[in-house]
Amino acid sequence: MKDVAAAPARSKGFFSSLAPRGRTVFFALTAVAVCLLFAFPVFWLVLTSLRPGTGVYYVHRGTEFTIDNFHDVLSQEIVIKALFNSFMISTLATLLSLGVTATSGYMLSRFKGPIPNTWFSLIYIFRCVPYVAWVLPLYFVTQRLNIFDSYWGLVLPHVAVHICFFSWIMKGFFDGIDPSMEYAAMIDGCSRWGAFWRVAMPAAIPGLTALAILCWLYTWNEFLFALILTAHETPILTVVMAQFVHELGMEWHLMSATAVIALGPALIVTLFGQRYVIRGLRI
Amino acid sequence: MNEKTRFMLALIAPAALVLVLFQVVPILTGANASFRDWTLHDPKRTWVGFANYIHVLRDVDFLEIVWPNTFGFMFASVAQSLLLGLLIALMLNRRFPGRWLVQSFVLLPLMVAPVIAAIMIRWMFNDQFGVVNAALEGLGITPISWLTQRWTTFLVILLTDVWLWTPWFALILLAGLQSLPPEPFEAARIDAASAWRTFRYITLPMLRPVMVVCIVIRSIDAFRTFDIVWTISGGGPARATELFSLYAYVEAFQFLNLARGSAAAVIGAIIIVIFALLLYRILNRFVEVSK
Amino acid sequence: MADIVLSNVHKVYGHVVAVKDINLDIKDREFVVLVGPSGCGKSTTLRMIAGLEEISGGTIAIGGRVVNHLQPKDRDIAMVFQNYALYQHMSVRDNLAFGLRNRRVPPAEIAAAVSRAARILSIEALLDRRPYQLSGGQQQRVALGRCIVRNPKVFLFDEPLSNLDAQLRAQMRLELKELRLRVPTTSIYVTHDQTEAMTLGDRIVVMKDGFVQQVGTPLELYRRPANRFVASFIGSPSMNFLTVNVTADGDHFSLACRELRFRLPTGRFPDLGSRVGRSVCVGVRPQHIRLGAPANEKHIAFKGTVMVTEQLGDEQLLAVRLGDSEIRIAGVDPDLTLPTGSQIEAAVATDNLHFFDELGET
Repeated sequence: MKDVAAAPARSKGFFSSLAPRGRTVFFALTAVAVCLLFAFPVFWLVLTSLRPGTGVYYVHRGTEFTIDNFHDVLSQEIVIKALFNSFMISTLATLLSLGVTATSGYMLSRFKGPIPNTWFSLIYIFRCVPYVAWVLPLYFVTQRLNIFDSYWGLVLPHVAVHICFFSWIMKGFFDGIDPSMEYAAMIDGCSRWGAFWRVAMPAAIPGLTALAILCWLYTWNEFLFALILTAHETPILTVVMAQFVHELGMEWHLMSATAVIALGPALIVTLFGQRYVIRGLRI
Repeated sequence: MNEKTRFMLALIAPAALVLVLFQVVPILTGANASFRDWTLHDPKRTWVGFANYIHVLRDVDFLEIVWPNTFGFMFASVAQSLLLGLLIALMLNRRFPGRWLVQSFVLLPLMVAPVIAAIMIRWMFNDQFGVVNAALEGLGITPISWLTQRWTTFLVILLTDVWLWTPWFALILLAGLQSLPPEPFEAARIDAASAWRTFRYITLPMLRPVMVVCIVIRSIDAFRTFDIVWTISGGGPARATELFSLYAYVEAFQFLNLARGSAAAVIGAIIIVIFALLLYRILNRFVEVSK
Repeated sequence: MADIVLSNVHKVYGHVVAVKDINLDIKDREFVVLVGPSGCGKSTTLRMIAGLEEISGGTIAIGGRVVNHLQPKDRDIAMVFQNYALYQHMSVRDNLAFGLRNRRVPPAEIAAAVSRAARILSIEALLDRRPYQLSGGQQQRVALGRCIVRNPKVFLFDEPLSNLDAQLRAQMRLELKELRLRVPTTSIYVTHDQTEAMTLGDRIVVMKDGFVQQVGTPLELYRRPANRFVASFIGSPSMNFLTVNVTADGDHFSLACRELRFRLPTGRFPDLGSRVGRSVCVGVRPQHIRLGAPANEKHIAFKGTVMVTEQLGDEQLLAVRLGDSEIRIAGVDPDLTLPTGSQIEAAVATDNLHFFDELGET
């Protein structure tokens, strides 16, 4: 039997032909390129927000820097209100979405049969409809229920939107948790509900944290619903930001300043939460 | 009804309530509107059957522009984001100094509101004052009027979408990569597999389930895109970059024909549902059971 | 020649020393087992030989060639993992062929090698299936096939039978021995199971806390354990231990504790002299204790109370209370009825006594 292993592994390919040093350099360059690519628009945003109104048209060439834009923007009551509203709505929507979809996902995970199947098909199908198909009727619905232009008028539709995706992901989380702990709890005297609340939910916390972060960010940045379902009573940050450029003329500098302010909480949540998001999304 | 069934229904009751009130009812209302003659300035609401649908399906703009636009956009955006996201996930999967920093940079687009990103990128590509044209000028190339031609506008929209969604792919794929068992990779090292062969025969097959889910979800969402297209081009120039959702919006809010807008949206909905099912089936056939 | 020489091999993870100064000489075609409790460093050592872990200090040489800086693929080794590590998305045939394909071996040779390996392991019928369609035992055979298909100099086994149930494990042990006859290759086998170690190894290396405790043939380790740990680790049920005080008593040594008192002639046990006035640990294997009165003066006797009996069919195991200690006795007649609380008399030949101070054997 010929010694087949004698043939050495000749590896071709650009990557392997680089010396280890070369490889590190290539890798480092790629990493830097990636960073630049993703950071540039944000950087540009920040730069624009620091230019005075007149200098905005030569953002890359001007030398004047000012924080007047931030003063201007923060002195407008509507912006402060919008900041507060957006924060409250994001938080409320997150809490509610998690609550509602956790039970839904749990049901999909732990039970089989016609009811879970129907539920899953339902939420899957309704998710596919483009927003435009029902955003105007949604306007009518919220009017009817008297919640238009209020917190609930925005929070509840957001929760509805999240139901499919989050239920799917929650199902994945609960699939990964051994049900025998819940059986043990039920034998020990827990009701089904108690087993869910006291055994399954705590085990799902990493996943819940990840979803909470994603949900909060999504609601904080959402535009379409905010545009259509709110008016003067409940200003929302994304709408206020966009209005600087559409309705009140092209005030890029003010919009940028507001956007940078809006980035603040998003930045904190992301930086703090990225570890949890990656850990929790291990489906 | 036994106790188990009651529990199941109780678990989904809150979600079902919200879903019905805020999704089902509006959709049904919209669908209802599509069968009627319902314009905002003349709300007669007489039943006209499929007249609106036929009108939409006969519309030349719809067939020759919106349809290819939407699918083209969907394919291009998902493919690009997937590829880029995969490369970034592979990169972030190794341990190197400053990894946390690179990861934070990659996550930046997720923090920015899509509308804001759209506005910013539109500003960057502005033909007179945008930084991109300024850079081109500096390099000696004649500046391009980005937003006045169909394909360049499309490019800008595509760029925005890829910029926004690559981190999403990268994050989910990274989580997938990190949950892979290390032993097959060690066996591959002993088996003299090059980096490429390891990737192609071991990493990729194991990642397929996660990739399938990402592709399906993102495809559906790409199909429904509205904000960034509206912000960057408004559907222009001359409705050349309209996607499904914009077409419906224009009909409903600009031509003030709610019925036609709803009809267009319903058609779009049916198409996505069919497409999503097909996509899921096709991709699943490539997914092996891995345990 | 495929001998393996480990010289002062050393592995640290940050501040934790996982493997301390291992020196080992493995001859060509020898089957050496690394055995020890979890965390003793045996897997780490194996992985350093494979090249999957960096070596912190010392050298490893395979076939006379130092391999410290060689990639796993260049060391001419093959490895079987605990959870098989098969490529789930390739057929069995492709799993076997993967390593050869990566090395640009001509297809005809690959086909020949694959069918030879499949024949040896009786998996020809499975060549077109996927790993997830196979049972645990079949998957393990495929993993073995992946090893032999390349004809490497060294086989490395990382607890390959741990995932199998008891019966399958016993069967696979036999198959491994048969494989050895057909494809004799230098092998290093890691396990925490002392039965596997005893039945499979030409020589056994017992490890604990990163150190080598003893190296020897199975019989050597059984009859002359170097220290208390090896004595308690090898042999099942494990050795009984009692601490006794040593005093000089004319031409005898008197060894006593609360439960037991006996004398040993100084002539036959000269080493005990260094322990006079102090205590020593006495070890006796359960298999060497006989029920009944001592046969001659070369035996020592003791009495105890029966606590628990375990019926094995061809023998009984007893747990007997001796004062504060519990002694286990094996090889008891299965037909004897010994209710809890009954008194028994037992004897041990003095030749079967092992003595240990705090560290080694006297």
